[in-house]
Amino acid sequence: MRIRTLAQTIVAGLLLSVSAQAQTVTVMGSTALGPIVKKAAEDFMKANAGVQIAVSGGGSMTGLNQVTSGGCVIGISDVYATPDQDKAGLVNHNIVVQPFTLIAHPGVGVTTLTAQQAEQVFTGKVNNWKEVGGHDQKIVRVIRPESSGTRAVQKKIILHDQEFTKDVLIQDSTGAVVTSVATTAGAVSFVELEHLEKNKARIAGIAYNGVECSNEGVKSGKYPVFSFGHAYTNPAKLTDAKTKQVVEAFLAYILSPAFQDGVVLKAGYLPVSYVKALKTKL
Amino acid sequence: MNDLPDSTLSPPSPLAVLAQRDEPAAPVAAGSQEARPALNFRQSRLSRLADRWSHLIFLGCSLLVVLLIGGILFFLASRGLAAFVPMAGNVGRTLRLGEVFLSSDWAPSSDKFGILPFLAGSLSVTGLALLLAAPTGILTGVFIAKLAPHWMRNLMRQVMDLLVGIPSVVYGIFGLTVILPIVSRSWLKDAPASGFAVSALILSVMIVPTIVSLSTDAFESLPPSLDEGAQALGSSRWQAIWHVLIPAAKPRLITATVLGLGRAIGEAMAVQMVIGNNPQWIALLRESTGSTSFLHTLFTPAATLTTELVQELPNTASGSTWNNVLFAMGLLLYLITMALILATRKLGQGREA
Repeated sequence: MRIRTLAQTIVAGLLLSVSAQAQTVTVMGSTALGPIVKKAAEDFMKANAGVQIAVSGGGSMTGLNQVTSGGCVIGISDVYATPDQDKAGLVNHNIVVQPFTLIAHPGVGVTTLTAQQAEQVFTGKVNNWKEVGGHDQKIVRVIRPESSGTRAVQKKIILHDQEFTKDVLIQDSTGAVVTSVATTAGAVSFVELEHLEKNKARIAGIAYNGVECSNEGVKSGKYPVFSFGHAYTNPAKLTDAKTKQVVEAFLAYILSPAFQDGVVLKAGYLPVSYVKALKTKL
Repeated sequence: MNDLPDSTLSPPSPLAVLAQRDEPAAPVAAGSQEARPALNFRQSRLSRLADRWSHLIFLGCSLLVVLLIGGILFFLASRGLAAFVPMAGNVGRTLRLGEVFLSSDWAPSSDKFGILPFLAGSLSVTGLALLLAAPTGILTGVFIAKLAPHWMRNLMRQVMDLLVGIPSVVYGIFGLTVILPIVSRSWLKDAPASGFAVSALILSVMIVPTIVSLSTDAFESLPPSLDEGAQALGSSRWQAIWHVLIPAAKPRLITATVLGLGRAIGEAMAVQMVIGNNPQWIALLRESTGSTSFLHTLFTPAATLTTELVQELPNTASGSTWNNVLFAMGLLLYLITMALILATRKLGQGREA
């Protein structure tokens, strides 16, 4: 980990020095959002000769930290900025919508949970699948670490801001979560929709309030479990007028219908236009 | 036919070992005497220059290594101590030592930073792994060094070297996809098997090769006279090993075990895939109303210092209390490893004296 953090610092430093010279727009942050932003950058550079946009990873928090300190121009993140970072003047742009779904081991005998049941499963009020209409089988909750964006979304929407029960298994990545759910009898978890679609053979999706997670469900407003992918800018550190112009044009390109309905949809995300506004801040 | 090779082979085997031991020593001595005149060639100005430059390069490399290690330690210490001392760049509050090291309540989003579960987790899982690995490793060492036939000795050594090279994530995946399902289906009636038991098992498989290699060396370096003397006095094979060889090799066996311990306590990838990573495991055990037997504890999802670092460090904001405490945990792990290395050196010196 030490080496990784050092490497990130070095990369950030290099990017900073490069950007100072060639007026490159640097983008850092979420590895989940990285691929589509990279695709957007490639298309944008093709259309606008002389513009350089460099996209690198590091994680949502790295992106937010770097954009706050001026280490990069755009920070991409799966989660909202912390109150301290908001105070520093970061500006949020929602660039994509990410639908989430409940999943379970195929043998639990349950295909749908009401909002209340889902909440009780994860707060620990319900401990056996037979209490929610399934087989006589202990419920094994697999969740993400406390700092994870997915866990923040789950806590807000599924648990209505209550604490998770202490009787949980924690897995670091969505891949490990899926493997864990597929191999552990009675397991239940919460992942991005695309991971359910990729692993339909090993795990089962669970509908929320009788509505299965789908793109149409989110678009029609019937399926309420989703979050935004964010791009943050820091006007206080963005003093160069030309760079500012490029950043605005680039964000406008990401939000353009052509990019949103084409690339975003194909990458497993949904266009921001599907969701007008979110009642609660995730 | 079957008895004949055994009875003829076993008595002269110590002598054969003795002969082999003397052989390599003689050519080396002869070689060094022949090589000496080669050093007296007239040194040209060029070679003297090359000598000076290479000296500088060696010095530079060693300084670079020292600088890197010092830099990392400084980085770790400055970020870790920021949890307890107000420093520039801190955005969170500073903590008291007691609420970090004496509390078992870890809930960073609720401003609770007790790291006792991780410390206890690291120590227990490492201790359990050593309980499994040390006897297995040392006895395998005895077997390779003193009992195994020659061809098997070579084979075993090569297998042990290969095992050391397997990346830890492979052990982790193996544990997650094979061992956990088998244990939970066959033994625990479909409860999750994640916890200390399986983690310690995986860890012990990882550190056995280290302990085997080092203890094999330890037994092979013992003077053959010990073994022969014991047998001449009428002790059986087992008595010679138990009462003579193992006590004689004890300091080096302890060193082997401590090195295995060092590898186990720093392992992150494999452990975090199978242990369940539950930072609230102490509170969970305390709350559970049923019987909290030792066996029950072994299969409770828990967490260690390394697993928590792997999971949370990349996702926390730098300068926040949470991030600082994680660095403090890293520093603690560094200090524990450091203490282990110093202990190993101390033990090694004791052997030579």
